[in-house]
Amino acid sequence: MSHQYVDREVACSAPARTVPITSVAVDAKHDVLVIGAGCAGMRAAIEAHDAGAEVAIVSKLHPTRSHSGAAEGGINAALGNASEDDPETHAYDTVKGSDYLGDQDAIEILCNEAPADVYQLENWGAVFSRTEDGRIAQRPFGAAGAPRTAYAADITGHVLIQVLYEQLVRRDIQVYEEFFGWRLVVDDDRCQGVIAWDLLHGGLKAIGAKTTILATGGAGRLYAGTTNAYSCTGDAMAMALRVGVPLKDMEMMQFHPTTLSPTGVLITEGCRGEGAFLFNSEGERFLERYAPNAMELASRDVISRAEQTEIDEGRGVEGNVLLDLRHLGAEKIIERLPGTRELSLVFAGIDPIHTPIPVRPGAHYHMGGVDTDIWGRTELEGLYAAGEVACVSVHGANRLGGNALMETITFGKRAGRHAAEWALANTTVAVPPSQLADAERDLKALLARTEGERPWQIRDELARTMHENFGVFRREEQMLEQGEIVGALRDRYEQVVVEDKGDVFNSDLTQALELEFLLELADCMVVCGVARKESRGAHARPHDFPDRDDENFLKHTLVTWEDGRTSLDWRPVTMTKWQPQERTY
Amino acid sequence: MIDATAHAPDKTIEVALKIWRFDSSTGERTLKEYEVDAPEWVTLLDVLDLIKDKVDGSLAYRKSCRMMICGSCGMRMDGAAVLACKTRMYDIAQSGHVPVVSAMGNLPIVKDLVVDMEPFWAKFKAMKPYLQPGYDQPLDGKEYVISQERMNVIHKESLCINCGCCVSECNSMESDPEFLGPQALAKGMRFVGDPRDARKVERLDEYSSEHGIWDCTRCYFCNERCPKGVDPRDAIAKLGAEAMREGIDEDMGAKHANWFVTSAKTTGWLRETELVPKTQGIVSSIKQMKFAMGLAVKGKVPPPVPPHVAEGVKESRALFELVKQQDRQGALGIVQGERALSRLEHDDGPEGGDQGMGSRDHADITPAEEPTRKGAGE
Repeated sequence: MSHQYVDREVACSAPARTVPITSVAVDAKHDVLVIGAGCAGMRAAIEAHDAGAEVAIVSKLHPTRSHSGAAEGGINAALGNASEDDPETHAYDTVKGSDYLGDQDAIEILCNEAPADVYQLENWGAVFSRTEDGRIAQRPFGAAGAPRTAYAADITGHVLIQVLYEQLVRRDIQVYEEFFGWRLVVDDDRCQGVIAWDLLHGGLKAIGAKTTILATGGAGRLYAGTTNAYSCTGDAMAMALRVGVPLKDMEMMQFHPTTLSPTGVLITEGCRGEGAFLFNSEGERFLERYAPNAMELASRDVISRAEQTEIDEGRGVEGNVLLDLRHLGAEKIIERLPGTRELSLVFAGIDPIHTPIPVRPGAHYHMGGVDTDIWGRTELEGLYAAGEVACVSVHGANRLGGNALMETITFGKRAGRHAAEWALANTTVAVPPSQLADAERDLKALLARTEGERPWQIRDELARTMHENFGVFRREEQMLEQGEIVGALRDRYEQVVVEDKGDVFNSDLTQALELEFLLELADCMVVCGVARKESRGAHARPHDFPDRDDENFLKHTLVTWEDGRTSLDWRPVTMTKWQPQERTY
Repeated sequence: MIDATAHAPDKTIEVALKIWRFDSSTGERTLKEYEVDAPEWVTLLDVLDLIKDKVDGSLAYRKSCRMMICGSCGMRMDGAAVLACKTRMYDIAQSGHVPVVSAMGNLPIVKDLVVDMEPFWAKFKAMKPYLQPGYDQPLDGKEYVISQERMNVIHKESLCINCGCCVSECNSMESDPEFLGPQALAKGMRFVGDPRDARKVERLDEYSSEHGIWDCTRCYFCNERCPKGVDPRDAIAKLGAEAMREGIDEDMGAKHANWFVTSAKTTGWLRETELVPKTQGIVSSIKQMKFAMGLAVKGKVPPPVPPHVAEGVKESRALFELVKQQDRQGALGIVQGERALSRLEHDDGPEGGDQGMGSRDHADITPAEEPTRKGAGE
C-alpha cells in the first residue's frame, strides 16, 4: 500500500492563543445551578429558566458532548402512534421490568407525564422519525406491551441533545463550559453551590447557588467492558455521598446484552426491536430456553444472563454471541439502523447487512444513584438530582430500554421546576471562603506530590476486577474479595501522582479526581451487593440466593458515608397498584 | 464469569506517532515522536490514551464517547481533520508510516491538540439555531404532523455532531475568519429546510449577507472531511437555491450564479465579458477594463462580438428542460455534491441513484470507504 502522506508544517497552522482566556467571574451566584449538561441537566435548566429563575450550568463537557447523545434506540411514551397504548400499561411494564423494586408512585408520574413531554420535544424541533401518517414513529422495545419507543432512526439521544441545546441557546442560559464540578458547598445545613476546576483556564472557582441540581449521569467507567463514555465517572454521586447524602440501590448496575466486541460500544436494542435474532455458536436462538415468549425482546437483565450463561458454558463465539440482522434486509438496516451499521463497520470491520455482529453483555446503566423524591429533592436542602445520577426510583432493579431518556426529560423537568420555586422563595446564598481555601489546599497537596503511582494502573485494575467480581453474576466470596480489592486500591490512591502540573487543560488532574470518585462508588456498590441476599433484576446470585425474596428484600439499599466508611440502611418500596408477581417473559 | 481475556488485548502492534505539542505557558511548539505497543484494533484516540497513560501525562486532547457521536476528538492527522476515535491505526502502522497529529485548523490552539471552540460556537449561535415555529403548539397539543419524506430534506444536516472538522479544513474561513463557515451554515439549513420553522425567509436573508452563503469557495473540503456525512457544502448549495427561490439574490455571489445559468442556457458557454458587469456592476467593470483588455489581447477571453453559440447548446438546453420537467424547486433542485454523486454511481445500495437531495441519501451516512485510509489523508 503506498500512501502519499503530507508531512507539512501546515498541520500546525492555526494561531496559538497568546493571551489568557478571559476569566469567568469567580464569585458568581445563581438561583439555580445545574451540574451536568446532558438531557436531564439541560431539561432541568430550561424548566427552571421558564419558571423565572436565573439559571446556570456547570459541565465538564460542552453540552452537546454529553453522553445522553450516545443513546440510540429511543424514548418511551404511551403516544399510541403505532398501536393502542396507555400510560397504565407503560407503568405496569416498568414495574414488572424493575423486578418490583421501582417505586410505583414515581413510575406512574413518569408514564403519565411522558406523552406531553415527548410532544414538547417535538414541538421544540426534535427530528423524530415519522409514521406513514406523519406522526412520531414508535418501535417495539424489550419487555414493553406495545410499540412504545419513539425514535429518530438510531440516533435518538443525539437528536434530543441537539434540540435541548438549541433551546438552551434560545434562552441564553449561561454554561460554565469545561468546568469540572468537584465539591459541593454545604453551609447552614443546605447546599449553596459547587467548587469547580476550570479546565481551560485552570484554577478552582466557587459558584454559589440557592439550589443545585446534580445531573452528571452514570458511572459505567467502573467496568472494563462498558458502553459508557470516558466521562461517565459518577462524579455527582460521589460528590453527594461526601456531603452525607445517601445513595440508593447502588448494587443495581445494568448490563446491556448487546455491546460490540471488542470495544464495548453500544449496539442498540432497536436492532432487536426491528427483529434481529441472537444466536449461540451452535446456531441456536438460545433465548427459546430462557424467555420463550418474548425471545429477543425480553428484559435486558434476562437476556444478559442468558448470553453470559451461553458464553460460560462454552456456546459462545470467542467470548461473544451473535446478533444477526441479515434477514431484516439492507433497506431496513440502512433506514432504521444506520448508526449501528456505521459502528459495526468502523469498530469491528463488520457489515451487519452481510455478517452477524459479535456482542456480549457490558456495563450500561446505573439504576442506583443519589436518593431523591418525586421532585428530585435529596435529603439535603437545596440539593436536587435528576437522570442517571439519581435514583427516584423508576427503574428499580432493572431498567427498560427507552425509559432512561424519558426519565431524564420528565424528572429533569420536575427537578428544575421545584428547584426554581424553592430558589425564588428563598433569598440568601453564601459560599464560605474557608471551603474554597480548603479545596485549594487539598488540590495543591495532590499536585505537589511527585513520588508515587500514576492513576491509570489503579483505574484499569478497578475496572477489570469490578467486571470479574461484580458483573452479570455475583458470588458472595467474589464480592467480599472485591471489597478488599477496592480498599487496597483506595489506599494506593492516597499516593497517586499527577504528572501534569500545569493550569491549562490539565486532564491528567481531572482524570485523577474522577478515579477517586469511582473508587468510592465501587465501595458503596460492593457493600450493597453483599447485603442483598437475593436475586433481583440486575443483581443475580445464582449460586447462593437464586430467587427473589420479597419477604426480606422488597426494599431499597441506602448507603451513606461516615468518616470515609460506608454505612448501610434500608427503605421499603413504595407500592400503589401492583403487587409483586413471578416475572417471566 | 466474564471472560477476562476477552477484555485483554490479543495481538499487539507497534504504533508510532508524531505529535505537535504546544505549551500554552511559553508559546513553544515542538514536534515529538512517540511509540507504543497497542492492540491491533486501536484507534488514534486509543493510541493517544496509551501515550498519556504510559509516556507523558501532560498530553492534552479532548475525548468522551469514543463512538463517533459526541464530537470531542476532532484533530488533524497528516494535515487533514479526523475524529480520533474513528481513525483505525492498523493499516497505517503496518505501512511503516509515522503520521503527524496536530490540533484542528482555523481555531486558536489552547494546548497540544486542544483548540478554543469559542469562535465555532459563536457562529453556531449567530444562526439563531432553534426552531421558530411561529405558534407554540399544534392545536391538538400533540406533535406537528409531517411526512417522513418532508423531514428527509434535513436528514443529513441533523446528523451534525459539532466536531469542527469541517471548520478546521475550510479554505474560505482561512482567508476570512468571519465567514460563518460550513458547520453553522449546515445548521442553518437544518432550520431553513424544516417545515415547522416559520422564519425561513428571514433566515435566508440573514444567511445571505456578508460572510454568509455566497462566501463559500466551493472547495468541498468540508464534505470531504466531515466524519458524519453531513456534506456541509451541499447544505450551503441548498441554502443558495432556497434563497434564490425566495428572490433573495442581491449578493454578488447570487448574481454570479444566476449569470452562469443564463449564459449556459442561452449560448451554451460562459460569456465572461458580460459576467463582470452582471455580477459586480458597471462601476467595478469600468475599473477592470484595463485588466480585461489585457486578457483579450493574450487570447484569454473570447471577444464578445460577433456573438456565437456553442456547438453543444442543444444538449445544454435539453438539460435545463429535463430539470424543469422534474419540477425540483429550491433546495430540491440541488442534487448531491460531486463526491456523493460519484458514490451513488458505485453504490449498489437499495436506495437507487437518482433521487436528488430530497431522498435520504444513505450512501452518505455510512462509511463506505476504509476509515483508516481516509484518516491517512491520501
